[in-house]
Amino acid sequence: MINTAQDLKEYKKRLKKALDNKFLRTAMGSFATAYKEAQGRLLAGMDVPALTREIAAGKDAALPRLEELYEAFKARAEAAGVKVHLAQTALEANEIIAGIARDRGVRKIVKSKSMTAEETFLNNHLENEGFEVVETDLGEWIIQLRHEGPSHMVLPAIHLSRQEVADLFSKMTGEPQEPDIGQLVKVARRELRKAFLEADMGISGANFAIAETGTLGIISNEGNARLTTTLPRVHVALVGLDKLIPDLATALRILKILPLKATGQVITSYVSWITGANECAPGPGGKKEMHVVFLDNGRLALAQDKVFSEALRCVRCGSCANVCPIYGLVGGHNYGHVYIGAIGLILTYFYHGRKNARAIVANCLNCQACKAVCPAGIDLPHLIKETYCQVLQGEEKQPLKNRLLRRVLKDRRLFHFLLRRASLVQKPLATQEGFLRHLPFFFGKEHEFRSLPVIARIPFRDLWPRLYQQVAKPRYRVALFGGCLVDFVYPEQGVALMKLMKDQKVQVEYPLGQTCCGLPAKMMGEKEVAREVALQNLAALDPADYDYILTLCASCGSHLKEAYPKLLAETPGAAVKVQQLLDKLMDFSSFFTRVLKVKPEMFKGSKKKVAYHSPCHLCRGLGVVQEPRELLATAGLEYLPARDEDTCCGMGGSFSAEFPELSAELLKKKLDAVAETGADLLVTDCPGCVLQLRGGMDKRGGKVKVKHIAEAVAEETN
Amino acid sequence: MASKKLVTTMKEKAAAVQVIVSEVQNLEEAMAYAIDVTRNQGGASLAAPGWDEASRPALQAGCAQAGLALLGENLREHAGAIHTGLTRADWGIADTGTLVLDASSEDLRLATMLSETHIAVLPLSRLRATSMDLEPELNRLALAPPRYLSFITGASRTADIERVLTLGVHGPLELHLLLLKD
Repeated sequence: MINTAQDLKEYKKRLKKALDNKFLRTAMGSFATAYKEAQGRLLAGMDVPALTREIAAGKDAALPRLEELYEAFKARAEAAGVKVHLAQTALEANEIIAGIARDRGVRKIVKSKSMTAEETFLNNHLENEGFEVVETDLGEWIIQLRHEGPSHMVLPAIHLSRQEVADLFSKMTGEPQEPDIGQLVKVARRELRKAFLEADMGISGANFAIAETGTLGIISNEGNARLTTTLPRVHVALVGLDKLIPDLATALRILKILPLKATGQVITSYVSWITGANECAPGPGGKKEMHVVFLDNGRLALAQDKVFSEALRCVRCGSCANVCPIYGLVGGHNYGHVYIGAIGLILTYFYHGRKNARAIVANCLNCQACKAVCPAGIDLPHLIKETYCQVLQGEEKQPLKNRLLRRVLKDRRLFHFLLRRASLVQKPLATQEGFLRHLPFFFGKEHEFRSLPVIARIPFRDLWPRLYQQVAKPRYRVALFGGCLVDFVYPEQGVALMKLMKDQKVQVEYPLGQTCCGLPAKMMGEKEVAREVALQNLAALDPADYDYILTLCASCGSHLKEAYPKLLAETPGAAVKVQQLLDKLMDFSSFFTRVLKVKPEMFKGSKKKVAYHSPCHLCRGLGVVQEPRELLATAGLEYLPARDEDTCCGMGGSFSAEFPELSAELLKKKLDAVAETGADLLVTDCPGCVLQLRGGMDKRGGKVKVKHIAEAVAEETN
Repeated sequence: MASKKLVTTMKEKAAAVQVIVSEVQNLEEAMAYAIDVTRNQGGASLAAPGWDEASRPALQAGCAQAGLALLGENLREHAGAIHTGLTRADWGIADTGTLVLDASSEDLRLATMLSETHIAVLPLSRLRATSMDLEPELNRLALAPPRYLSFITGASRTADIERVLTLGVHGPLELHLLLLKD
């Protein structure tokens, strides 16, 4: 039985256990690496963004018409001898299926993989009713024998070793089985072939329900779906209403990318397109008795939801788990209830309730790897935060940090006052390198994986009057959006920027009304706070006054770009200003390479060896990949590529405080990869990443210096 | 006739999913191939649903000579005893190495699922570049139900234990594709 942690304390205990599971860690790690490598190879030459847009648009067009598509499907299928049912709830679906089995004198049932049947816990229901149910997908069969839920939507038993499977099969067959995968598969073939031949009823899911022809499309690699739908005299398909699509062309389009994303195959071994009750010797009149049970379970209402309907675009490829750094550490049983991965954090709330979602939904870095890989273009990190927001609203007691944040962040003066106060209090604790000598008492031991910086003695905004350079005939007027970290922790990054701006004929302004971008509020599910600070920033930085809005912080930049339009969509007038702001928004590296077009002559050409960490919010959030690398080259630095440069460093804002053990693991991987390059300097473009990487480097006593790219480049000027 | 490039793509893509590809000049050659493979693999039986009556005597003679049982109708009764399934493919899709079969006949489905080795004969005139090129034909078939269409790309496979690719978990362990010049 699936038993998902219902509170953070229990959840963290399980995460710890997962981190200590050596097999799981190795299996997940090698899967993540292999997946990434295969994706790069397979998708080369394909216009994936265009295909993603088409799939998203197709799904978005179908969702408001689900009822109409259902009626069309039903009419077609029933004309071809199929009985079509609609179940509003999970229980109703299970009862309909059990009823069919009872009426037809069924004893034995074979099942091919269906996430929808997992959603309704169909097996439990049927077994309680006295039916014998055998899962026939190898992975599903293994977890059924172990009484577990799937740990991946496509690879349900990925958490198990061959030895564990051998032990399981030995017990099941009563004969000793060697941990030889080929042999184990043969055991399954033998045992399951018997089950197929004896079964009276086959239950399948479906990947597509095509309204125009009343056709079900089922993809499978093992071929068990073909056998399940062919051998027994009765076939019941349990299908989520979201699987309804208008026509075959839509299905073929999804099929072009679903297997690629799911398992890195061009296509699965089998795709079956079933229309009507087909020939079946033992069936009545030599025909199959066929039923299609559509499951609503909230889908029709979800399809109408302005924010969350996007979740129904999901085609169940599982790629959002495949690329998730957290999934890669702790596995599926700790990253979803029935549905696993980023989409699982969202669907759990809607299909299996707040209690099951409440702990897991907090566990997201907002690194956007899932969003970048999703073939249906679902903004998964955004929906996860929206779900978190929903979960919090349902809780009786709000976490202290949320109450504090609500109080403080909306009031810039109070917020900045508190930061200045913190700086004074910390003063005696500061080391020479600018770290806190020890963490404040309320931090536990698990937070000691990195040194934390002290708040700057003089924030950037107080340095500003001295740094301000009046430019006579400027080429560009630029507003700097500093962000809290540059302003209050790393003002030297802003100072470096101003050094580089000298002689560039750029009029830089630092509007002092600016405040926190609001990302921390979004991360903590505080949408209202995020909205309010967004408005404050919009008032402080009127895009009409500038040619560019420059940011040194990738996280702030990506939050402005991605969240502001959503947060302010309903605020009259604001949407226009947001769009104008975004049209002028630019990161540091892009500004210096694309706008100022700095030349190598400006720099010493020291050939210092540097490694680069690509911040999530820069490479995925702002879509900036080449520019920082180019800038490093222009500045005369020797760039040494590292493994997994675009994988999250584990910072994730408040994530690293909430889940320090996970953050520490991701940081370790990152720093190990950097160490392998032999670089003397690690450069990145986000002060958040600097905080994490520099703190981790200090803690491990590493010799590699960590700098913001503005500092690194400024130091190289002649 | 399919272009040379299309045929090359089909061969490459099929081979990439462990399909054993050969070319045959005519049906007799395909049958001889199937009988040969069956005998070499130590198989004792061959099921060949979906062929027209005219080709039956040749197949019967070949099987008899090789000492193989040629399984007739109602393959359910022979489940577990079908070594080779010899079938036609209605179409081929080059860019994925896929065979498309109208498998509405139960025997055809069983021959392609319960056999140890599936040998499919694809007339080259039925080769298409992409699945989208087949969309009108497939739709036409689906609009005349009941219909069970199968895309088959390589042998039955799994990677469910430690992600190690293993062929033949449920269906055929081998898929052979015979490209027929027509």
